[in-house]
Amino acid sequence: MPIIYFVRDSIREMFRGGMVYWLWLISLVGITAWGLGYYVEQLENGLVVTGMSDQVSWGFYLANFAFFVGVAASSVLLIIPAYIFHRVEIKRVVLIAEGMAAAAVIVAMLFVVVDLGRPDRMWHAIPFIGRFNFPISILAWDMLVLGGYLFLNVAIPFYVHYCHYCNREPVFNFYFPVVIIAIFWAISIHTVTAFMFSANSARPFWHTALLGPRFIASAFVSGPALIILTMQFIRRFTDYPVSQEVIKTTALIMTVALQISLFFVGVELFTDFYNESTHAASIRYLFFGLEGLDSLRPWIWTALILNVVGLIILMIHPLREKMLTLNIACISTTIGIWIEKGMGLVVPGFIPTPLGEIHEYTPTIVEYGISIGIFALGILLFTLMAKASIAIELGKVRYQRVRGANEQHTD
Amino acid sequence: MNKENNEENLNLSRRKFIGGIGATGAVALSAGAWGGKTLQDALGDLFQDHYQRMTPEEIKEVLARIERKAKSDYGAEIKCENTPPREKVLFGYALNIAKCKGYRDCVHACVKENNHGRDSQTQYIRVLEMPNGTTDLEKSDHYYNHEQVPQDGKYYLPVQCMQCADPPCVKACPVSATWAEPDGIVVVDYDWCIGCRYCMTACPYWARHFNWTTPRIPPEEVNPQTHYLGNRPRPRGVVEKCHFCIQRTRKGLQPACMDACPTGARIFGNLLDPKSEIRYVLENKTVFRLKEELGTDPKFWYFTD
Amino acid sequence: MRRALFLFWISIGWPIWATDNSTDGGAVLSFVGYPDAPNFTVKPLKKKIRNCERCHGEMQHNTNIRVLEDAPHIDSLNHGNGRFWCLECHDEVESNKLQTPTGEKVGFADAYLVCGSCHANRQKDWYFGAHGKRVENWDGQRVILGCTNCHEPHEPTLQPYKPKAPPQLRVGLNPSAKKHQLPIIWPWQVINTSEANHE
Repeated sequence: MPIIYFVRDSIREMFRGGMVYWLWLISLVGITAWGLGYYVEQLENGLVVTGMSDQVSWGFYLANFAFFVGVAASSVLLIIPAYIFHRVEIKRVVLIAEGMAAAAVIVAMLFVVVDLGRPDRMWHAIPFIGRFNFPISILAWDMLVLGGYLFLNVAIPFYVHYCHYCNREPVFNFYFPVVIIAIFWAISIHTVTAFMFSANSARPFWHTALLGPRFIASAFVSGPALIILTMQFIRRFTDYPVSQEVIKTTALIMTVALQISLFFVGVELFTDFYNESTHAASIRYLFFGLEGLDSLRPWIWTALILNVVGLIILMIHPLREKMLTLNIACISTTIGIWIEKGMGLVVPGFIPTPLGEIHEYTPTIVEYGISIGIFALGILLFTLMAKASIAIELGKVRYQRVRGANEQHTD
Repeated sequence: MNKENNEENLNLSRRKFIGGIGATGAVALSAGAWGGKTLQDALGDLFQDHYQRMTPEEIKEVLARIERKAKSDYGAEIKCENTPPREKVLFGYALNIAKCKGYRDCVHACVKENNHGRDSQTQYIRVLEMPNGTTDLEKSDHYYNHEQVPQDGKYYLPVQCMQCADPPCVKACPVSATWAEPDGIVVVDYDWCIGCRYCMTACPYWARHFNWTTPRIPPEEVNPQTHYLGNRPRPRGVVEKCHFCIQRTRKGLQPACMDACPTGARIFGNLLDPKSEIRYVLENKTVFRLKEELGTDPKFWYFTD
Repeated sequence: MRRALFLFWISIGWPIWATDNSTDGGAVLSFVGYPDAPNFTVKPLKKKIRNCERCHGEMQHNTNIRVLEDAPHIDSLNHGNGRFWCLECHDEVESNKLQTPTGEKVGFADAYLVCGSCHANRQKDWYFGAHGKRVENWDGQRVILGCTNCHEPHEPTLQPYKPKAPPQLRVGLNPSAKKHQLPIIWPWQVINTSEANHE
C-alpha cells in the first residue's frame, strides 16, 4: 500500500539531516522534557503549584491558548490567496502554513490540557461515551472546532503531499471543497474562542460584541508575523524557494489587520473611559491600576507601544520592503499581540472579581516551565512536519512503484 | 530427548509466568497497590459514569466506594447517601440584611457541615461588609476582623450560591457535570467534573470554588452524614459550591447556615408551599436580588424591614 | 321651681345611668393570633426561670412605681427607655405569670403574647416566619424560637460581639494595599508529606 510507504518515508525524512538539524531537534526535545518535568510536579501536587486562585481562576495557560488559536486561524490568510486567487507563489508555501496551523492548534489544545484539574477525565468530553454538552456549552463548541480544524490541517496537506509522493496531481474537485470548508472553519475557531470569553455576562471586561472582531484582527497580525519569520528560516536553512511575493502579500495583510486591531483598541478605550461605569474597572486595572495594584500596567503599555511601532514600520512602504525593519515589526507585533491577547485579556477579566475583590495574579515557575515546554513541543512538531513537507515538495521523496526496490532518493 | 527437555522447560517457564502474573494480579488487586485503593476501586473510579446515567445499583456501588475511600483517605467512617429530591419542592432562601450583623457564624458552620478542607479553607459563603449608602460591591470588604460587629455605618451582605433558575454555570460546563435538580438546587457531580473552571468564569456571584489541592480534614471533624451530590469528601481538581446542604434539606432539615445564624436573619423554605415562611417574606417584605439584571433568576433574596 | 330643677338634673343624668354597663357581660375582644399563619410550637427555654411565688406567695406586690433595689429584682430596665416599669408585663397578683394590657394572664413560656402587645408588627412577622427562627426543620412540625429565646426581656437589644475568622488568603494573591494585613496562611506550594498525597 503506497500510503504506508508514504508515512514511512515521510517519517524517515523527518529525522534525516545534518548536525545543525539534529542539534536543533535535540535541544527542542530537551526543553520539552524539562517542561514535562514541571508538568509531573503539577500532576503530583495539583494546580495549587500555579499562581491561580479562586479569584483569578484562569491564567497563563489560557492566555497562551487564546494567542495560539489566533496563530492557527491565520493560516487562512495564505489559503485564500493560494486557492481562491490562484497565486502560484503563495500556493507553494501554503502547505507549510497549514503545517504551522496544525502545530499551533496542538499547542493550544495542550495548553487547555495542562490547565485541567482532572486530565484523567478528558474522556468525559467524548460524545456518547462521555457527556458532551453540545451545543449549549461554548467550550464544547471550541473542542469540536479545534479538533475539526486540526483534522483539516492535517488532512489537506496529507492528501496533497500523498498525491505528489505518488507522482500525480491532487484532484481539484476533491480537495477544493475541503479547502473552502477550511477557510470558514479557520474564522470560526477563533470566533468560537472569542465567544467563549464574550459569552460570560458575569465578566464585563469580556462581555462585548467587539471581542470577536478583536480576536480575528489581532490573529491576522500575529499569525502572518510568525509566517514571515518562519518563511525566512525556511529560505535560510532549506533549499525550498520562498518567493518574496509571499512575504510581501503577508506583510500587506498584516498591515491592514494591525490598523484594524489598533483601531479596536482605541474604540474600547473610548467606550470604557468616556462615561466610566463600574464595568470599566477591569480595563482601568489593566491600563492604570486599581487600588495600588498595577502589575499588568507596564506590560500592556509596552504591548501598545510595540504594536504602534510595528504599525509605523509596516505603514511606511520602503520599511516594509526591507527585511530588517520588517522583521523588527514582526517580532514587535508578535510580542505585543501576545501580551495584549494573552495575559492582557484573560487576567483582567477576573479583576475585580464579581464580588468586588481585587487580587493580582503572577504565574509561577511551574507555569512558565510547562508553557516553555509546550512552545518547544510546538516548534518541534512544526519542524518535523515542515521537513517532511519540504522534502516531498522538492521531489526528494517519491514512491517507487517497483516492490523490493522501494527506497528513497538519497540527498 | 532434547525435545522433551525443551517441552518440560517450556512448561516450567509457562507455569512460572502464569504464577508470576497471578502473584502480580493478587498484589494489584489488593489495597495498597493503588495509593490505598484496590484495583477494583481505582478502575471503578476511572470509568465511573455520569450520575444521571447510572442505574440505582451502580450508584449504590459508587456510594460504597466513596465510603471506603473516606475510610482510607481520612480514617473516618461516613455514610454516603443519595436522597432523591422531594415532590413539589423548590427551595428558596431569603436573608434579612437589617438583621445580619456580620458574625460569620454561617460561614464556619457551613465549613464544619460540608467537610471542607481545613487547610484549603474553601468557604461557600462570603460575608461582605458594605458601607451604608451603596450597593457597589467593589466597595465591599471581605476580610474585616473588627473587635465587634456590627460596625457603625456598615451593613453586611452574605453571598453564596444563588441556585439560579437560569444558571450560566450549567450552560458553560462542557461535560454537563453541573445541572439544576428538580428541587432547584444546582449540583455538581464531583466524579464527573474535569476541572476546566469555565463554570467559575461564568458565575456572576463568585459562588463556585475549585479544589486546588486535596482537601484534608482531621478524622474527628468529618461530618459522617453525607450526600453524593453534597458534602461527601471531594477529590482534588474539581469544582464545588453551596448546595443548600442537600444532605440535610432533602430530609426536611434546615441548612447549616440557617441553623447557625444567631440573629434569625436567614429564612429557608419551599417556594411552592403558599404557607411557607419564605413565601410570606417574598410577598410582604421589600425584597431584591443581587445582579438581577444579568438575567440569571437567582433563588436567593435579600430583604429588609 | 324646685320640681323643674329636679326633673332637669334627672334628664341629663339619665343617659349616664342608662349607658353604665360596667356590670354587664360582654368580654373585650381577645387576641387569638393569626389564623392564616402556619401552626407552630414554641421551643421551650433552656434557661431556668426563677419561681417568684416562693417569696411573692406570701408577699404582696407593692404597685408603687419605683426603682427596685433588692435582689433578685433588676434595678434598671433597658427596655422601653422609661416608658413603663416591671408590672406592665409582670402580673400584679400571680408572680409566676405575665400579663397582657387586657389583663390576660400568660405563662413565661408564652411570653410572645405579651411582647406582641407593643411589638405588633414584629409579632405578625414572627407568626408568619419572617422574624425569629424556625429550628430543626423547614418541613413538618414547625418549631420556632420564642421571643425570649433570643431577646433577654430586660435588655432585648442583641449585643455586638467579635466576628469569626475572616477568609484565608493565598500567598501569591497579592491583595490590595488598602486592605488588611492578614497573616497569609495557605502556601501555594504543597510540601510532599505522607498525608498530603491521597490522590
